[in-house]
Amino acid sequence: MILQPAGLDAIEADALRTDGYLDALLAAAERRAGDVPSDPMVDPGLRLAARRLRDELVRTHPSFRFEERLARRLADAAARMRLAPAAGSEAEAAVIPFPAPLLADPALSAELANPELAALLGIRGAADPPADDALLDGLPGSGGAAAPLDGTSPAPAGAGVPAWPFRQVQGRPLLVGGALTSAALSLAGAAFVAWRLTRGAPSDPMARAVRAARAAREAAAPAARHAQLLSAAGEADVRRRRLA
Amino acid sequence: MFVREGARDAGAAGRVVQLDPDRSLVRAAQADPARFDALYRKYLAQVYSFAHHELGDHHEAEDVTERTFMLALGALPRFRETAPEDAGPEASTFRVWLFRIARNVIANHRRAERRRPTAPLEAAANVAAPDDVEGRAVSRASASAAWAAVRRLPGDRRRAVVLRFVDEMSTAEIAGVLERSEGAVRVLLHRALRSVARELSVADAGDGRAAAGRAVPQVRERPGDGDHGR
Repeated sequence: MILQPAGLDAIEADALRTDGYLDALLAAAERRAGDVPSDPMVDPGLRLAARRLRDELVRTHPSFRFEERLARRLADAAARMRLAPAAGSEAEAAVIPFPAPLLADPALSAELANPELAALLGIRGAADPPADDALLDGLPGSGGAAAPLDGTSPAPAGAGVPAWPFRQVQGRPLLVGGALTSAALSLAGAAFVAWRLTRGAPSDPMARAVRAARAAREAAAPAARHAQLLSAAGEADVRRRRLA
Repeated sequence: MFVREGARDAGAAGRVVQLDPDRSLVRAAQADPARFDALYRKYLAQVYSFAHHELGDHHEAEDVTERTFMLALGALPRFRETAPEDAGPEASTFRVWLFRIARNVIANHRRAERRRPTAPLEAAANVAAPDDVEGRAVSRASASAAWAAVRRLPGDRRRAVVLRFVDEMSTAEIAGVLERSEGAVRVLLHRALRSVARELSVADAGDGRAAAGRAVPQVRERPGDGDHGR
């Protein structure tokens, strides 16, 4: 029996008693006790309802096929999560704290339109469209915040944590591709290359001129090489005649 | 029993609280994401049950469960133990965090469903899998009067009941999941039980079988009687 504490109104006091009864009831079920606790201060109708709920609201298990399929998917994502820090550990900064399957899955990225969920997952400002340069936040020398990559000492939520990269990466899948698995690539370099590649082809006149010059150079290269070979052959022939 | 990290800094020196019982598993998974599997296996049925009781469809519950665990895995390096001050000894902050993710994913799912409404598949599920033991169990649970009464409860009351009875959470944990005070959760549960009791009494009164087919209602407690056998 729970005495009504001072300062509680009637409904709060009743709720407190009911809560104590539920604790006892569920604890009895947990230890598989045959006896059902009874508290005469709790309304009999409530006790009956609680016992029926305890007996009739069952915990269901998903199919084992689903369980194993999800386990494999999680294991795959976990393996990619391990690779990402390994590739970027030399930079000691995190641009990609999440694995590619998570970033690429539109169903998961859509979840983060909910700002409450984004905040819960430690994602700052995920609902706001990021500026173009936000991708470079967290890189050394960029002035952005950096998060630890080791996973053992996560940064405090909301403090110095780079924004969730879902929106930045949605149109830039190269950022989290297999390039990062190469230890030869630094994380900063990969991010910069991805950023440049996803900016699209430059369309200003100077860029067009540069592309045209490069194309002309590449087209002329085989002819020049052929002339060079002919010239070398001619010189060799002359040298051979002199020796003869 | 351990002293909470940072308690001294917060001026609460000497306050002893129970740490998250999942802490070692969480730390291991943060160090090596492959070890998230242990947490996944431990909480799969609970998250799935919560989603299933909320949505009433096991396909949708599987979708929600999958997204919940994928998001939890991705965000795990950012997870930080922040147990409420009054969390009970059995409070698991990882579990609370996981269920808050699930609650939000379910809310997203409901919003999306409202945008593209579909017909309920309950009837189709019953017909499509007559030999499905799990499906039959779910149908049986769904068909019970108690469950029907719970389904009619308003959102947070229903969630509180499911978390309390199905996932066996403490009031403190439910408060963490629903982001309400413990007192508010107690009142939610109390009112939910009153509603369910009212509905059950009406259903029982209208039932000609007079509860003969039910196992539990046959036992009537008399105030002051002490414990009764089940």
